[in-house]
Amino acid sequence: MLPYLIRRLVISVPVLLGISIISFVIMKLAPGNPVDMLIDPNTPPELLQAKKEMLGLNSPFAVQYWRWLSGLLHGQLGYSFSSYAPVAHIIGERIGPTILLAFTALLTGLLISIPLGIASAIRHNTAFDHTMTGFAFVGLSIPPFFLGLGLIYLFTLKVHWLPTGGMSTLGEAGGFGDTIRHLILPAAVLAVGIVGKKIRYIRASMLDVLGQEYLRTARAKGVRESFVIYKHAFRNALLPILTVFGTEIPVLLGGSILVEQIFQWPGIGQLTMQSILSRDYPTLMALNLVAAIVVMISNLLTDILYSIADPRIQYR
Amino acid sequence: MKLSIRLFSFTLIAALLVLLAACGSDNDKTESKDQTITSTDTSKTVDKASTQADAPKETTAQVKDKIVTIGIVNSPPTLNQINDQGDSASKTVLALINDALLDINTSFEFLPKLADSVETSDNHTYVVKLNSNAKWNDGQPFTTADVKFTLLTALNPKVESSFRLNFIEGTNDAGKLEEGQSELTGLKIVDEHTFEVKTKTAIDPNIFKETFATKVYFIPEHILKDVAPDQLATNAYFQKPEVTIGAFKFADFKKDQYTEVVRNDNYYRPVAKLDKIYVKVLPATNLIAQLQTGDIQMNSLPVGLIPITDYEKVKALTNVTVDSSGPSEPAELFFNNKTINNVKVRQAIAYAINRQLIVDQLFKGQADVIDGSVPSDNPYYNKDIKLFTYDPDKAKALLKEAGWDRSQTLRFLVPAGNKIREQASDIIVQNLKDVGFKVDIQKFDFSTLIQKVDKAEYDLTIFNRDYYIEPSNYFSLFKSDNANNFIFYNNPKADELIAQGSTEADPSKRHDIYNELQQILHDDLPTLSIYSEKRLQAVSNLVVGGKPLNLGTFNNVNEWDLKTN
Repeated sequence: MLPYLIRRLVISVPVLLGISIISFVIMKLAPGNPVDMLIDPNTPPELLQAKKEMLGLNSPFAVQYWRWLSGLLHGQLGYSFSSYAPVAHIIGERIGPTILLAFTALLTGLLISIPLGIASAIRHNTAFDHTMTGFAFVGLSIPPFFLGLGLIYLFTLKVHWLPTGGMSTLGEAGGFGDTIRHLILPAAVLAVGIVGKKIRYIRASMLDVLGQEYLRTARAKGVRESFVIYKHAFRNALLPILTVFGTEIPVLLGGSILVEQIFQWPGIGQLTMQSILSRDYPTLMALNLVAAIVVMISNLLTDILYSIADPRIQYR
Repeated sequence: MKLSIRLFSFTLIAALLVLLAACGSDNDKTESKDQTITSTDTSKTVDKASTQADAPKETTAQVKDKIVTIGIVNSPPTLNQINDQGDSASKTVLALINDALLDINTSFEFLPKLADSVETSDNHTYVVKLNSNAKWNDGQPFTTADVKFTLLTALNPKVESSFRLNFIEGTNDAGKLEEGQSELTGLKIVDEHTFEVKTKTAIDPNIFKETFATKVYFIPEHILKDVAPDQLATNAYFQKPEVTIGAFKFADFKKDQYTEVVRNDNYYRPVAKLDKIYVKVLPATNLIAQLQTGDIQMNSLPVGLIPITDYEKVKALTNVTVDSSGPSEPAELFFNNKTINNVKVRQAIAYAINRQLIVDQLFKGQADVIDGSVPSDNPYYNKDIKLFTYDPDKAKALLKEAGWDRSQTLRFLVPAGNKIREQASDIIVQNLKDVGFKVDIQKFDFSTLIQKVDKAEYDLTIFNRDYYIEPSNYFSLFKSDNANNFIFYNNPKADELIAQGSTEADPSKRHDIYNELQQILHDDLPTLSIYSEKRLQAVSNLVVGGKPLNLGTFNNVNEWDLKTN
């Protein structure tokens, strides 16, 4: 296992390099730049030129990329074009909230969708199954911004239970409980989407397995039904489910832009959106790098989970 | 194997909890501090052995800070007082923690702030007398040495600054010092509290007062004197500008969440009555909800605009008073005067657009219709100009006269983001089609749009410029030799009047010049204003003395108070 892990990590270096080149090129090809946005006709053009020079935007493509890369090799992600704060600091501030939100949503989603999906498969074509698929369909198709605003209306304006947004109550002591209170609504919105999608996967995957002969054998041996389902069937249905959850992690960590916007959750998604709009190249490059690393790690994690779920899968 | 799955999920949950705790940890500290305070209070009341239960509650009520929270839609990108990057959100926060020489109120009157007086006898040399009590919030006196340090730093070619001071003697056209130049010839320090600024030519005192006296904020020499100019922008001071000179001082900044400022007890003017102000970032759609719940006490202008579609809803709130601001900088339809070079076609467009419908339907009447760039409450607005009316027949006739080629398609670029402006643009397109134009509407993010406009890849575009008091700032766009004249307007007579207007110091002559100029711009029609919005100002009934304004929102922020109940 260990040599395999090391090999995977070594391979990831050229991949990351490739990703960084591609995203740098795409970013530069996108129209607009951070300086031209200052359209104010009272700004002397010499000043705009000076600013471009200062930000290094006048150098050729390759030089700009090399400057970024050599900075990275020295552990420097550069400074944001807009706030002049160190990019590492900006992202460091944002990544925590995003991870917190993403994993809370993912965990909640898992805990709800797995039992419901399994139950739905076992009782398939019953009223329960139809209700579940119905719910799943609604959860899947309801737009997050609509659900978000609806929940705000209900839980904040009508019953005053939960705050409208942010991550802490301004002017109050805050703390653990306060963060949880702020976390509930955005996590719920994300979780609803996850549950909607995953119930259907889990149900389908379980249905596949339920017809298998080894289950009949197990039952014939006199194994308890719950054991048949959870030990024999679910374990085998787990592989495709793991794959889908694995792909869900980067999606969530890439920032649920909409949900973060609606609830003013200070995460990566909001930051990405703004950096794109203001063409803040150093921040964008760092965000791309983080996203690429997250994808790689979650793929690796999924592969490891495969071998845990199914010991026949061995990595060498 | 089952064990490892359990182990894995256990670790996952544990990691999550650690993270949660870490995210809340800053607050935990303050919480525990509060707890210790209340616990000592409790022990005292236990000694007294009377009304034990109520006592701690009372003390916390007394301790409760007076806090006002202002809702804003965009996060300030920077808190650098010499380089706000023209961003209105940054300007809002900076105005809380920085004082300029003068401030301004809604009647366009200048009020003394750091300066007791700004005077000139010849419109050429401006004598500024500083308030002799003025001091930084760390107690250090504010003197002309800080003024000199600020100017020399901001005008250094290696320093990026949003100050536009190229009218001062000794600066080049870009408004910077030449490389290697270490003195500003136009600045004379008379004594600790008096300095003089000499301008290149005589200018209207209002230009000096607006662009210098109300826009220049100062940086503390005693903190920043050893920082190399090219390292200044990334200096830690500008991430946490704790030492400034204003009614409030910096406490905390969380990008996309809030900026926290606290009362400056060292203020040289009457110390603020509020303890704290938060400027909180939230989506426009949540402004009303948070006004209703009391999470915010007011919106901010121009970056905390309550959607006009919520007009009735916000009017109906009982805990909030709603007003309309004066007319703000208009949304202007800019013509590419090269591709639409026939003035009759531009006039046809003006007659074709039903601007009253836009104002009535989209703005529920909360907007002005004007033709030029200058808002109608500006002292230099020309009231005698006859506005274009909605007259599609006349538009058609003008098009026929001009021999407009009907197969030609107009490229209309619209910046995405401002919903109401996008809706107005859709109405414009419909209006133009009705009189026989072919219009191709394209929506872009602002950065992309500006690049296309700069390359002249457009025929029509619409956006709002900045709000100015000084009229010459509205007109510099129309100068034929301005590199930023993206509309390619060229009229020698207008150039002449623009030049005259910016140097004429006699207000009544200036009025004549600008009246004539506005008439010419109306006849030539290089741009057409669509609407000048009267923004919704909502403020909680608990707030005393404060209100969001288009101009000078914080000029009396030290007098703001909260009713206690």
